[in-house]
Amino acid sequence: MSDAAEMTALAGEFVLGLLDGAERRAAEVRLTRDPAFREAVGAWQRHFSALDATIAPVTPSPALWERLAAATGSAPRPKPAPQQPGMAARLWEAIGFWRPFGLAGAFASLVLAVLFTQAALKGPEPPSLVAVLSAPDGRAAAIVNAYADGTVQLVPIDRVTVPEGRILEVWTLQSRERGPVSVGRMDRARTLRLNLKGLSPAEVGHLFEITIEPPGGSPTGRPTGPVLMKGLAATSL
Amino acid sequence: MDQRASPLPDLAGLLGEIAAGRQEAFRRLYEIEAARLLGIAMRILRRRALAEEAVHDALISVWNHAARYEARLGSPRAWLHTIVRNRALNILRGEARTELTAEIESFDAASEDENPEEISSRLSDADALKHCLERLDPTPRHAVILAYTQGLSHGEIAARLGVPLGTIKSRIRRSLIALKECLG
Repeated sequence: MSDAAEMTALAGEFVLGLLDGAERRAAEVRLTRDPAFREAVGAWQRHFSALDATIAPVTPSPALWERLAAATGSAPRPKPAPQQPGMAARLWEAIGFWRPFGLAGAFASLVLAVLFTQAALKGPEPPSLVAVLSAPDGRAAAIVNAYADGTVQLVPIDRVTVPEGRILEVWTLQSRERGPVSVGRMDRARTLRLNLKGLSPAEVGHLFEITIEPPGGSPTGRPTGPVLMKGLAATSL
Repeated sequence: MDQRASPLPDLAGLLGEIAAGRQEAFRRLYEIEAARLLGIAMRILRRRALAEEAVHDALISVWNHAARYEARLGSPRAWLHTIVRNRALNILRGEARTELTAEIESFDAASEDENPEEISSRLSDADALKHCLERLDPTPRHAVILAYTQGLSHGEIAARLGVPLGTIKSRIRRSLIALKECLG
């Protein structure tokens, strides 16, 4: 296959959404650097957009505009809903939230116990809550420590590759109603104090996760990139 | 390009106003486009709550980045469709993504098993894509349509069409090259 044909096929697969994670990220990087590839992707988008005209429109529920109006300014913002972390945690577990993470839960609790023992030996004040964030393959990749005084710290324990031109964004999900909230950003995995200002203190069942986002953070204020790792806060031993 | 909306609303003009922060323009864009965007997202995600989430995120992105729209890269409608489609695909892939998985719902039966031949038959006869898709064998034609409209992966396409996984990848690649030659 010639280089040109190769690029045509790759650009087409990219637009069709057929590339897997690593291939897709490589293509995204190439998009920013290779004008010919960008052109090829744009051409496929234009060609395939004809298929969008075959769509049957679906009327959105009124709630969709209300949310958009609230987010973009004029409409009154809805009152924050009561928080139900326990409920949310149960829901995720019930719906296979952990499925892509395989046995991460079981494995993570072992790692957690070991790590916590080490931390307790060293530090004068053990964290009151810990969350072990697992990568999709089940590796424990970072720990979140929440201390009694309200500070929350992220400690990476495994190497993380950040695609060029991207950053890591840390999120917490305290309730479904509120949705994920950004609590920190970094250009590479490092120990980071998380900013939970305006949120309740970390509690058992709160989710922490790290996604890959564009520079400056997610443009939507919600996770947009792939989830690198995640875990639920639990009481330390 | 579009047969349904006539006369075409001035979407590029609306995007310009949205870039200037005018919410009434945003509202107007929503009224014109939201149902089509939701249709696109539903075809990929099948669940209404997830699809509305995709449209929500896509439109917030439009609100924040309307100034990035460039007319030379395509029609405003195609731009909007690309944004919502990408967001829907991201949600589809990141099935572990935060609160989204907390929606307990059954699949929407209406959008299930939409036949790729039917979709293809709804393409405008004037469209080069229709003519060029028709020159492909049925299997790769269906594969391309299913991937684009429903966001199916290689594995899902192989299962749906009853073709070995290794075969479907290479057939799609070859078909894309043939399609491109036909489309010019």
